[in-house]
Amino acid sequence: MNRVFLIAIFSFLLLLPISHASEVTSLESDGDVGYRQVGLMWSTDIPSEEGTIFEVWISNETIIEISNATKHSLVRVGNVSNLLQPGIGEWYDDCQYSIGDENWNPVYRELDGTAVIPPGAIGVNCTLSGISSGLEIHIAVLSINPSGGSILSSSISSSSTSSDEEIIVIETSPYIFAIGSIALSIFILLFVLRWMDYREGRTTSRFAHLYIAPAILALSVLTFYPVLYGIWLSFTNADQSHLGDQSIIGFDNFITVISTSGFLRVTGFTLVWSVVNVVAHIGFGLLLAIALNSNDLRGRSAYRTALLLPWAIPSYISVLVWRGLYEPTGALNDFLGTDLNLLADPNGAKIVVILVNIWLGIPFMMMSISGALQALPKDMYEAAEVDGISNFSRFRYLTLPNLKSALVPLSLLGFIWTFNMFNVIYLMTDGGPNLDFDGPGSTDILITYVYDVAFRDGAYGVAAAWSVVIFLMLVVFSWTYMKKTNATEAVT
Amino acid sequence: MISTKTVATEIHDDLASRWYVPAEVESLRKLYPIVVLINFVSLGIFVLRNDSESIFSSSMQIVVSIVILFLLSKLDQGQRFIRDGVIAISGLTILLSVLQFSSGPQIIIDYWMMLWTTIPPLLVIYSVSKPIVTLWASGNQTVRSAELGLFRNRKVSRIHGMIFRHIALLHAVGFVVLPILWIIDVAVSPGNSLGGDFFDAMTLEHFNHILSSESFWIWTRNSIIVSVGTTLLGLALAIPAGYAFSRFKFRGRDFAMFSFLLVQMFPGVIILVPYFLVMKALGLLNTSIGLILAYSVTALPLCVWMLKGFFDTVPKELEEAALVDGCNQNQVFWRIILPLSLPAVAVTALFSFLAAWNEFLLALTFNTSEEMYTLPVGLASLISSTGQAWGDFAAASLLVSLPVVVLFIAFQRFLIEGLSAGGVKG
Repeated sequence: MNRVFLIAIFSFLLLLPISHASEVTSLESDGDVGYRQVGLMWSTDIPSEEGTIFEVWISNETIIEISNATKHSLVRVGNVSNLLQPGIGEWYDDCQYSIGDENWNPVYRELDGTAVIPPGAIGVNCTLSGISSGLEIHIAVLSINPSGGSILSSSISSSSTSSDEEIIVIETSPYIFAIGSIALSIFILLFVLRWMDYREGRTTSRFAHLYIAPAILALSVLTFYPVLYGIWLSFTNADQSHLGDQSIIGFDNFITVISTSGFLRVTGFTLVWSVVNVVAHIGFGLLLAIALNSNDLRGRSAYRTALLLPWAIPSYISVLVWRGLYEPTGALNDFLGTDLNLLADPNGAKIVVILVNIWLGIPFMMMSISGALQALPKDMYEAAEVDGISNFSRFRYLTLPNLKSALVPLSLLGFIWTFNMFNVIYLMTDGGPNLDFDGPGSTDILITYVYDVAFRDGAYGVAAAWSVVIFLMLVVFSWTYMKKTNATEAVT
Repeated sequence: MISTKTVATEIHDDLASRWYVPAEVESLRKLYPIVVLINFVSLGIFVLRNDSESIFSSSMQIVVSIVILFLLSKLDQGQRFIRDGVIAISGLTILLSVLQFSSGPQIIIDYWMMLWTTIPPLLVIYSVSKPIVTLWASGNQTVRSAELGLFRNRKVSRIHGMIFRHIALLHAVGFVVLPILWIIDVAVSPGNSLGGDFFDAMTLEHFNHILSSESFWIWTRNSIIVSVGTTLLGLALAIPAGYAFSRFKFRGRDFAMFSFLLVQMFPGVIILVPYFLVMKALGLLNTSIGLILAYSVTALPLCVWMLKGFFDTVPKELEEAALVDGCNQNQVFWRIILPLSLPAVAVTALFSFLAAWNEFLLALTFNTSEEMYTLPVGLASLISSTGQAWGDFAAASLLVSLPVVVLFIAFQRFLIEGLSAGGVKG
């Protein structure tokens, strides 16, 4: 009996400190106080005693128990002698305490940054950093007493609304001025042309210039002007941090481009990527177009419709679907019974992105070549059949030479498109694997790398220089290609 | 004509019968290189699987197929023993593949490989043991039978050609349809698993989830605003320009048309960065207007060329008659040309709508805040690095692409014609 009594008293004594512990009574948040930060302020019912720990828990739903929340930070009550006391603004997240009067003092810091407040503090006012902007979060404070008991405060909600983007004020007047002067000069040009027409007595075209004015204007302002601006930009040091006060720096950006580690690698892969894709597109497209090119083929339109699907489906969706197929847990491994992770392997990823782009591009070539095949004269083939020419010879000596006039521009167009095919690489691998910090990744092609330079590094001037270099490459390539094919055409 | 006839009479009858090879043998000679190729593909798959037993049997298959290919090329009149050898080795091949596939995992690709290792040898046995081939191989055939055979070859080889076409097309269709079937399966499978058997468990949870999620509707709204805006603005710009290019001779016409073509050939990359900066300066980032402006101008050259092509087909006499009757130029355009070319305008509208609906890069660059995402960027964000909601993505992508695909297929003829008018001819 006695023993039971003793235990009861002992337990009561144990419980006693809990009821006397400092409990967080008023918790308030003043929301947005800075970039990804919210302010939090609480006070306790009694002055906090040494050894108490206040833990700040956050969650995206109301906190009833801490199991569904994450611990953000903690404030310890303890001996503050020999500790640092950084002033307001000297620490990256400010925290102050009050001992009941109106004065707020900066908290003390341990070497690892933990905030420490002296015993007797009754209010704490902290800035919580690292809060995702635009999302509502719920905050609660858990006070843990030296004896081990803990009390969770009620939960409050807050959010950091400040934008993730640094706000840079750009002077708009130069742009408005440029656009305005372009518009004005085009109007004047059109009026002059019209006047010249009028003087020559071409009155039927009275409205012609009026009709083309909107299109010409839109094209000049939104295409030719950005192109010229981009070329100018490539000679400046424009970047994310100082836009608007950029200055001309000559060819420095182009030197940066050429001296980028992996410049040759990314150019080489872009060429391989484009050539392999175009060859495969035309090869398979030709094969399928020939297979479809027969009037007595049963189910011809069904086949054609099915084969058109990769063109009809939005390309970003197809690419993401293929990415899912190639995931280690994806269906490719189920189909093949293998255990591959191609996207994580530099060479595998290269093969994969090329395969996906081949899948995407065949229908366009198939349909274009189909159209060209149907335009070929039928009697030519009839004559060949009478002469007993074999199928292969018919293809080699009749179909191919006659298709050439269609295939040359098609392949050039395909090359330019593939060269600039952004979606596939960006969505499949995002240039990875093996992303370097200062160079292209292993599946980056030129355009995806330019995107990274411009919008991840924010180096607009360098990106503009890359664009100019890419454009020059395309011009040189197209020109040589046209020259070469024209030359061979003249021979045959 | 005369020369052909003389040559024909000079050819000895015996020679004519020597020319003759039955169509079956010809077709098998074409088929077997493909069989060998596919056997190499199978070998590759087994190497990836690291399945040494199958690697061995697959290598055997390759050897045997090459032997059959070689024998088929040597098979000729009076080569009866080669014919028997071909049949024997084909039987051996079938035996090999039965042994190979009697055990081991039976997955889709295995069935495909099994078909390619059993059916060709069966075909070899069937065709080579046909009386007509047997007769030919034994060398006992008469000139008359060779002539009949040549006559028969035409029909048979046409049938075989059709079969070849069907095989090639079926493989292509399989390659096209497999990812689509798979994504349908992911959309109706519970959870976010990517593997598993096709259609083993069905649920509509992902559809419910995506249709009740607020962001999906926001993205859809943004996409509709942008696409409709692009279509309207694009047409407003392109119709008058296309008409002017089609009908009038005026100063600067050739230069203007050339500049439209030039833009068509321009890679978008060179514009992206300055475009972004101009839009940023004008405060058009994260707005629908910025995207509408950009899209309608990007699609403009092609639309103008498409419409010009269509306007060219409208007879000029109609206009002249209307002018004589007292219409002015504007009335002619609005009352006569435009109603006549409504179908063409509809196709152009569809084209610019689809282009805006599917565009990804500019939308990704310009509209970075989540409330302004269009569907492409929004759907891609479902598969971000933080969380890969494959099931929701699959459901959403089916919902998004179905109307687009139906429209595309329904109007494929016109769209492709228009595209080739603008893209290839120019």
